[in-house]
Amino acid sequence: MALDQSLLTIITFFPLAVALLLLATGALSAALGTNGLPDSLWRAVGLASTVLTFLLSLQLFVAYDPTQTGFQFVEHAAWMPDFGIYYFVGIDGISLLMVLLTTFLMPLVLLSSWTEIAKSVRAYVFFMLFLETGMLGTFVSLNVFQFYVFWEVMLIPMYFIIGIWGGPRRVYAAVKFFLFTMFGSLLMLVAILVVYYLSWEQTGTLNFDLVALPGSDGAGLMDAAIPLSGQAPWWKTQYWLFAAFALAFAIKIPLVPFHTWLPDAHVEAPTAGSAILAGVLLKMGAYGFLRFGLTLFPNGAIEFAPIILGLSLVGIIYGSLVAMVQPDIKKLVAYSSVAHLGFVMLGIFVFNVQGLTGGVLQMVNHGLSTGALFLLIGMLYERRHTRMIADLGGVAKPMPVFAACFGIVTMSSIGLPMLNGFVGEFLILLGVFLAHPVMAVLATTGVVLSAVYMLWMFRRVMFGPVDHAENQKLIDLGLREKFVIVAIMVPIFWIGIYPETFLGRIRPSVIDLVGHVERARAAGEAARAIPRLPELSSAVATERP
Amino acid sequence: MTPVPDLNLTVVAPIGFTGIGAMVVLMGEVFLSRTKTFLGRKVTEVWIGSVLALVSMAFLSLALYAAWMTFASGEAGVFNPDHPMLQLDSFSALITAAIALASLLSCALAITYLVELRINHGEFYALVLLSTSGMMLMVAAVDFLAMFLGLELMSIPIYVLAGFDRRKLRSNEAALKYFVIGSFASAVMLYGMALLYGTAGSTSFDAVRNAFDLANPMAGIGLGLVVVGLAFKISAVPFHQWTPDVYEGAPSVVTAFMSVTVKLAAFATLMRLIALAFGSVPALLNVLWLLAALTIVVGNVMAVIQDNVKRLLAYSSIAHAGYVLIGFVTGTIEGYSAVIFYLFIYLFMNLGAFGVVVALAQGGQECEKIASFAGLARRRPALSALMTVFMVSLAGIPGTAGFIAKFWIFAAAVKSDIIGLTILGVLMSVVSLYYYLRIPVMMYMQEPSEESESHEIPTGEAVVLGICVVAVLFFGIFPNGGLAGPFAELQVLDWARDSVMFLFGT
Repeated sequence: MALDQSLLTIITFFPLAVALLLLATGALSAALGTNGLPDSLWRAVGLASTVLTFLLSLQLFVAYDPTQTGFQFVEHAAWMPDFGIYYFVGIDGISLLMVLLTTFLMPLVLLSSWTEIAKSVRAYVFFMLFLETGMLGTFVSLNVFQFYVFWEVMLIPMYFIIGIWGGPRRVYAAVKFFLFTMFGSLLMLVAILVVYYLSWEQTGTLNFDLVALPGSDGAGLMDAAIPLSGQAPWWKTQYWLFAAFALAFAIKIPLVPFHTWLPDAHVEAPTAGSAILAGVLLKMGAYGFLRFGLTLFPNGAIEFAPIILGLSLVGIIYGSLVAMVQPDIKKLVAYSSVAHLGFVMLGIFVFNVQGLTGGVLQMVNHGLSTGALFLLIGMLYERRHTRMIADLGGVAKPMPVFAACFGIVTMSSIGLPMLNGFVGEFLILLGVFLAHPVMAVLATTGVVLSAVYMLWMFRRVMFGPVDHAENQKLIDLGLREKFVIVAIMVPIFWIGIYPETFLGRIRPSVIDLVGHVERARAAGEAARAIPRLPELSSAVATERP
Repeated sequence: MTPVPDLNLTVVAPIGFTGIGAMVVLMGEVFLSRTKTFLGRKVTEVWIGSVLALVSMAFLSLALYAAWMTFASGEAGVFNPDHPMLQLDSFSALITAAIALASLLSCALAITYLVELRINHGEFYALVLLSTSGMMLMVAAVDFLAMFLGLELMSIPIYVLAGFDRRKLRSNEAALKYFVIGSFASAVMLYGMALLYGTAGSTSFDAVRNAFDLANPMAGIGLGLVVVGLAFKISAVPFHQWTPDVYEGAPSVVTAFMSVTVKLAAFATLMRLIALAFGSVPALLNVLWLLAALTIVVGNVMAVIQDNVKRLLAYSSIAHAGYVLIGFVTGTIEGYSAVIFYLFIYLFMNLGAFGVVVALAQGGQECEKIASFAGLARRRPALSALMTVFMVSLAGIPGTAGFIAKFWIFAAAVKSDIIGLTILGVLMSVVSLYYYLRIPVMMYMQEPSEESESHEIPTGEAVVLGICVVAVLFFGIFPNGGLAGPFAELQVLDWARDSVMFLFGT
């Protein structure tokens, strides 16, 4: 069982360790004046290490006990203990799925970019492995300081992946991506510090841990009583602290007014970058809301919910409408992400079990289907060197297998029953309907719109006459590409047909979270009722003499 | 017959070692340049330069060792107990050690650079050592006279160093500009000291503290003028105008040296003044608040529009001074400890960043236009990677020491409820990210403008850059002691806190 005890650490740091080893061989060979390991070996080692990471995380999935609530596979070690900074990892059902999604997509993404990336292959492999550790670390961290470190560190490899291997406007896109994300996260850092010192004032110990270590009698940041509006200076209240966290996460998701970095980053990034960006990075915002936003500031979240629900709804409709008119397939899918993530946020911010479960599942679904869409678009781009819908048409004739795969993934994105998207969207709409029926009706138009833009795009690209001579010579998918797409379809069908495998693991954690929010709501309402009394008594007291 | 005072020589050991080193180097150059052969080998100018550099580094190591031993022992000593003017204690010893380390690294950085720029004169090392001894004097001072002596001994050699590349117009301009403005600042400060002397009747920090009363306008003006004088040295806005011109015009290695050491010395002196002479006067904290806010905004915003790396780094160093000032505004032990930690980390990341600029200079030419970094990753992959690490650290991204340093500054500010300045600071960090990222963008994402062959990094530069990058990454992950072995002893956060706690007597 020694493996199980440090399984999370091994999964998280294995890619980085391999990357550093490869880098060391590179430095050594440079010192000796030789060429070092060939590019293909770097690729192969990178792929092998991501596959191994995936297998280890499968072990995690099997060993995870869905009947328990709370965090499992917990590891806690001193890092800077004087300041309450610990190395603290653990997963619940939500982070389990995120870890699995990450480790599942990484080898597929590396495999699909096997021939696309031709320059600086070694740096590419290094940054991809570095990125994987960054993403996994973000999902498993339970110490807020540690979470912040991973959250930011991850930007560096992504910045280089977009900036070095991207399209013509890659520099602009990379810098914009970096600046937008940093802007939000630095305000979150200030909020983290405020919470840290609030908890210190209450407990007398400095601690960045989100929850108390299971089995210890200490307290985590989650146990701190954070003042409600009007009970403390504004920056110490749940509302503003939540707003600071929400800004960081909303930019990452992205919610509507903060989404402008996304189309640029997606269009300019190389295929692998887009797939990882859509598949995993966008989930971090939603995950952040679940793990930190709702747990630390439940009352702030409740106060803020109308704004976020409104923005999500705007995102769904606006994203769909803008997607409809895009001439570039990649941009179209990028805007569809805005709409899909709007659904996820709707599900999260109705604070009921159905909505939250659907939201978490839809995070996975979006990662799979949008990731797959970007990979497929990349495969087409590699052959045709265009992403403009107008230049395509009739692609199904020369590439039937490609068209079939693209069709299935499109359907999954639309939310066709028996495929994954349906289950998630259905649960979300169910949850939204329970809380705000009108909103559910409006959100449903988003489902219709997504069918409109996806199917319209599919028709224009795949069917019709082959107008452009270049399109007649297109070669269908090779074995490597078929493997990538078939592999990604396994979970697409699995979730569509038997989602309980995943829902069963999500549900206990979600029920826990909903309970936490409801308790806070009740406590908040009680606390709001009380403050009138002291005013009365003081008025009486002044009258008495 | 007057009794011989009971002098404590260990107090002046670091100052003495560097001062003697300066004399040895100065004399050594005279004798070596007349020698034709040494042990059967022909004496060349390059050889002389290397020997003198090694001699200076040896003396600086002695000073570093002496200062470190005082810090490690935790004892405080006064040079002349009858007239306490210099005191080497946990605080000044730690700063002295850091200054010695920075000078040592600068000397190592200079060896090949001076040859490349064809200004390989031994006086360089003598001036660096003299200036270093002045800084050490300044941070050890507990008396305004000793402090002023140190300030001048620090500044005058640097005026000369800034003009060291005497054939270049801009180097001359830098020297003159720095000299004129620097003298003006010294005069302002001296006037402030005179006023404080007027209130206390003595120049010792203790006496000034006892007599200090803000109700007395003389004390208030004196305090203000002394702070203005120091603000010139740390280039806080609005006393920063000289910085970009001087940093740009001076030879890169001089800029590297002065950008780190002068800041260390001046900030440490300011802290000592607050601890020993003025106390945490609320009016002073308000002034520092304003200085910090202006410095952060102007430094970061002006850096965005620069197209010269040295100017960019000059404005970046102004911005960093602003972050350090946030630590002062808190007026708490946490804040001051964060300041010391920040300065220590700043030493490595700024020396590293300028070190890369130094290593890029060849054939009498500096490589300082940002445009000339285009496609550098192809030709000089190692240097590009190093520069990226330093830029990322200066921008304060996690995983590097720059983040930890900024983090503790902001933490101290939040703890003291200085929320407005903190938010300003983090927002300006986003601005800073833009200009720091421009350099990796040029190196990795642009095509090279001209083809030139790749070069090896010279040994001196390689060692310094290696030390800096290891420090930046190591302290970025383990700022308070590594996992095992000797690394577990590198508890920089604890050192900073111990020294500050000693200074403030808690």
